[in-house]
Amino acid sequence: MKMRSIILSVAAGCAMGLLLPPRATAAVSDDDFNALKNQVQQLNDQVQELKREHQQDGVTHNEDQMKIQQLQQQVGETQMLATNAAQKAEAVSKVQSAYPIPASGPGARHNFTMAGDAEVQFGKTAGQHSGFALADFAPIFLFRANDNILFEAGFDTTLQNAGGPPGTGGGANTTFSLSFAQLDYLWNDYVTVVAGDMLLPLGTYNERSAGWLTKIPDAPLLDDQLLPGSGVGVQLRGAVPVGDNGQSLTYAVYGVNGPGSVTGSGSAFQTPGDPASGANLDLGSNVGILGDGTQQNLHSNPSGGGRIGWFYPWKPHYDVELGLSGQSGEWDDAGNHLWSAAVLDAAVHIGPYFEVKGEYANTWYGTDDAGTVHPHGLWVQAAYKLAGLNLDFPVVNDLELVNRYDHENDGLGTETDRYTAGYVYYLTSTLLFEGDYEFLHSRGPAALPSNLFVLQLSYGF
Amino acid sequence: MVMKKQKVISCGSWMLVGACLIGLGLSLAYAAPPETKKTDTKKKLTGAELYAINCNRCHPERYPTEFTSAQWKTIVIHMRVRANLPAAQAKLILKYLQEDSGN
Repeated sequence: MKMRSIILSVAAGCAMGLLLPPRATAAVSDDDFNALKNQVQQLNDQVQELKREHQQDGVTHNEDQMKIQQLQQQVGETQMLATNAAQKAEAVSKVQSAYPIPASGPGARHNFTMAGDAEVQFGKTAGQHSGFALADFAPIFLFRANDNILFEAGFDTTLQNAGGPPGTGGGANTTFSLSFAQLDYLWNDYVTVVAGDMLLPLGTYNERSAGWLTKIPDAPLLDDQLLPGSGVGVQLRGAVPVGDNGQSLTYAVYGVNGPGSVTGSGSAFQTPGDPASGANLDLGSNVGILGDGTQQNLHSNPSGGGRIGWFYPWKPHYDVELGLSGQSGEWDDAGNHLWSAAVLDAAVHIGPYFEVKGEYANTWYGTDDAGTVHPHGLWVQAAYKLAGLNLDFPVVNDLELVNRYDHENDGLGTETDRYTAGYVYYLTSTLLFEGDYEFLHSRGPAALPSNLFVLQLSYGF
Repeated sequence: MVMKKQKVISCGSWMLVGACLIGLGLSLAYAAPPETKKTDTKKKLTGAELYAINCNRCHPERYPTEFTSAQWKTIVIHMRVRANLPAAQAKLILKYLQEDSGN
């Protein structure tokens, strides 16, 4: 039985062997095998690459761990410093006033900057010898305490012939004058507080009169002789934007000591009744400190003034600006008489090449002996940059032609008309070679000299 | 002594008027033609445009690289006070100048 079972098992095994499909390997071709082999090889390469990357990651990880440890150490040190600072601040607060003055702020970054201009002038008055007339250095020192506080001071250092009778050898004078010194506090977006010796916004020329801005070396007669350039006092000023096209309304209100009297009296002339002695009105010297060192206003009340303006640009380089300004206050020491002024200013730009601007000023003041004196004047200036002609000539394209008409009546018998024709040659945008000829027609006791020819090199920095 | 007021219409004033008219004519003649493309009138002006509008009316524009970022901040405050620039416009102008300021 056992033997029989074995035989049957062997027979069944043979039968199954015959019935089973052929061996799988028998169906794989050499090409398939090689392809599979290549795949295996590629996989092996990838595994090796991953191993290398893993090793590199390990190194990076170790470095990161070291950095993290260093940073943790620094954080610990910073926390220690902060703790110490807090302890020190607490200690300081115990000895400070109960109402400490606010500091400039943690964001304060003091900055000192210098701007300004410099001029060298050559001139010839008709009937006289020509010569280099002056050298002028006019820096503006700007010291910013933080984002809201700026102190600015402008100086004028000028070297000029001392003059004197011919042959006396008067030598040269160096004058060093303070043009303005003011503290600006930007109170908010609409109000800036200004205090000190301020350029007065009577018209716009006063505040925009740097040598490289005016295009004509000599100032307009009315700004030079009829209006005060600066005053000591306090001012509030600012601007309100209108719309999104750059339009704005501007304002300035101020109180200053105001004009004074040369002799202290209310007489029209320094020697009463004598026009040759000169006008008694002193537009700029009342600064509150007298010759004997005492401090007081020359008269009992300060002068008040201000300007409102409207600026309307309809696109870049095309704009119009109009302004109305005025000032009024006592001028004689006794405070019996008022000096007042009203100024209308206007400026128009049509394209980057053409501009016209001007001012009209009407002033009046009471006197003891000449009634109400009525100085007034105007000027209009037009300028055209020849680059607007598109001639593509280097020299011509850097030229700007300028003309100005001045009229002044000092109210004391002298009247002047002046026509100025000149040019500005832009060596660079801030280095200008200017020249002009001034035709003067002046008559009266304080008549101005004859025609004048001026060349000037101006540099703005 | 009573001074008689003399009304003087000088040759110079007529020349000035003539020069103004000539300049105005040249400006208009050589001005760029009006844009026919409709523009968005409510588009806000950029700092660069405000710089051209406000600063160039008194002096040639300075290059942003002429001053450092800190110096521009000082100068723009100075000009905001001097030229009565609106604060919002001054801030945009400052941003434009500081973006390309010198080191």
